[in-house]
Amino acid sequence: MSPDEKDDKPAEETAEDAAPAIGPVADLFKTALPGVSLEAAQGALDVLITIDGKDAHQVLETAKNDEALAFDFLRNLSGVDYEDAGLEVVYHLYSYTHGHNVTVKAKLPSQDPRIQTVSDLWRAADWHEREARDMFGIVFEGHPNLVPILLPEDMLDHFPLRKDVPLAPLEEWQGEQLGENMANAGHIPPGSGFDVTPSAEGE
Amino acid sequence: MADMTTEHELDTIDVNVNIGPQHPATHGVFRMVLVIDGEEVVDLVPHIGYMHRGAEKLSENMDYRQAIGYQDRTEYLAQFNAEMCYVQAVEKLAGLVPPDRAQYIRVILAELNRISSHFMFLGAFGTDLGVFGTAFTYAFRERENVLDLFEEVTGDRLMYAYFRPGGVAWDVPRDFKERVEWVCENALVGAMDLDKLLTDNEIFIMRTRGIGILNAQDAIDYGATGPVLRASGVQHDLRRAEPYSIYDRFDFEIPIGTNGDSYDRYLVRLAEIRESVKIVRQALAQMPEGPILPERMPRLLRPAAGEVYMRCENPRGEYGIYLVSTGGTQPYRLRIRSSCFCNLSALKHMTVGHYVADAVTILGSIDIVLCEVDR
Repeated sequence: MSPDEKDDKPAEETAEDAAPAIGPVADLFKTALPGVSLEAAQGALDVLITIDGKDAHQVLETAKNDEALAFDFLRNLSGVDYEDAGLEVVYHLYSYTHGHNVTVKAKLPSQDPRIQTVSDLWRAADWHEREARDMFGIVFEGHPNLVPILLPEDMLDHFPLRKDVPLAPLEEWQGEQLGENMANAGHIPPGSGFDVTPSAEGE
Repeated sequence: MADMTTEHELDTIDVNVNIGPQHPATHGVFRMVLVIDGEEVVDLVPHIGYMHRGAEKLSENMDYRQAIGYQDRTEYLAQFNAEMCYVQAVEKLAGLVPPDRAQYIRVILAELNRISSHFMFLGAFGTDLGVFGTAFTYAFRERENVLDLFEEVTGDRLMYAYFRPGGVAWDVPRDFKERVEWVCENALVGAMDLDKLLTDNEIFIMRTRGIGILNAQDAIDYGATGPVLRASGVQHDLRRAEPYSIYDRFDFEIPIGTNGDSYDRYLVRLAEIRESVKIVRQALAQMPEGPILPERMPRLLRPAAGEVYMRCENPRGEYGIYLVSTGGTQPYRLRIRSSCFCNLSALKHMTVGHYVADAVTILGSIDIVLCEVDR
């Protein structure tokens, strides 16, 4: 019996319940940006700073140019769709000068999400923002060339990584018969996404 | 009258030249449109996305273990490194700590994978520059040794899916240590052969030195990482700067370049092969016996709600997994931060002002994997 065939104990019971101390980067942000409301929390590796989408450019500009923060490397920029709680643009930053990390999460509404571009701060943001527009429909205002990068040029109003876009049913892409056989044999776990029926045909 | 002749001789128009998507010099399905004035590139428009499979969306519709396989298919030249990043991200959220033996197996395989990936680069780069055949043969001879070992360990040549959150799928074969040592010896011989063939080759130097210079500040601004960043003189390696797994237990150098040109990128990768062999040998000596998975493993992983951005030093740079969990059996959001995607965004900056033939050199020197760029 291999170890992973043992019981089904959920992992969260073993995780520590006490909230860990928040790293020193959070205080640096609060000192550098006294007028901006930001929430700080400690993630598994980095400090998480949650802000409103309207303040994003101001916060990130300070993060880059403030001497104590000096985040000169935009590691990653991604969108996340939290359905009813709206969208988020997540910036992962690193400072080569100080060797510290931070995650800045900017909250946006699901309807007509707009945020100011940061491609003027880091050129790395250029392609990342184009991808986030492709996948989530987030409009980055002031971006020099906000055209599709990974998706086809004419795919302007379909945002595949949004949670309201389901995967096509298995039959559609593996042939009807195979899908039926697999379903009968119980190979499709419920909730795996394969059994989702699209809401409208020909979407 | 004489003035007019001079003016007419200098009057040229810009021509658009399309390279790819089906072109051997583009290392996969990549297209770039060069705007050229004579032989000189004045603008470059890269087109990516031909290989976009929606790996992120697919992973969000699978449970945590099924998504491991997608890492292989994303980064198909450094599969173990990609898997390592993903399983560590899951471990961080699930609170799993892999046993020591599993950590050592992972490091050995990931470093061997770095060696095989760099050999792939050396062979392909030599071919890009007209050293046709020889460099490729030398490099593939060594790469095959590594792949044979991987096949012996995992049962598959390319799509391993061998790492698991919490450890590895099964233990390595009994003769693992001898086999790895043999592969290391051969890798050093292969690195020496390629060193002799290319490093002092006058044609090679003329075609790479001073070509595609990226200075340190621009490299950081474009988010370039890995050998591309280190060739620009930034001594930054995530294995040293933010040690993950057990990389703090090994002694190794971080090779850097001085000029940030294509030649330096080649030299950095060649030196990294030797450093990886160093790490593998230390890991082999330290590797303990013992279990390869934790005592109590849940059958279906349900990591605690939360998020983590796990980053690893892959052969091509920083590979990141941004994982958001809501406590379910599937990742809520899985974002793959592709190292090549960011390195490639600096292509235009590096190429403008050079000749058309150099565009191929520069693209080759970034060492892109299009499956990873497009995901």
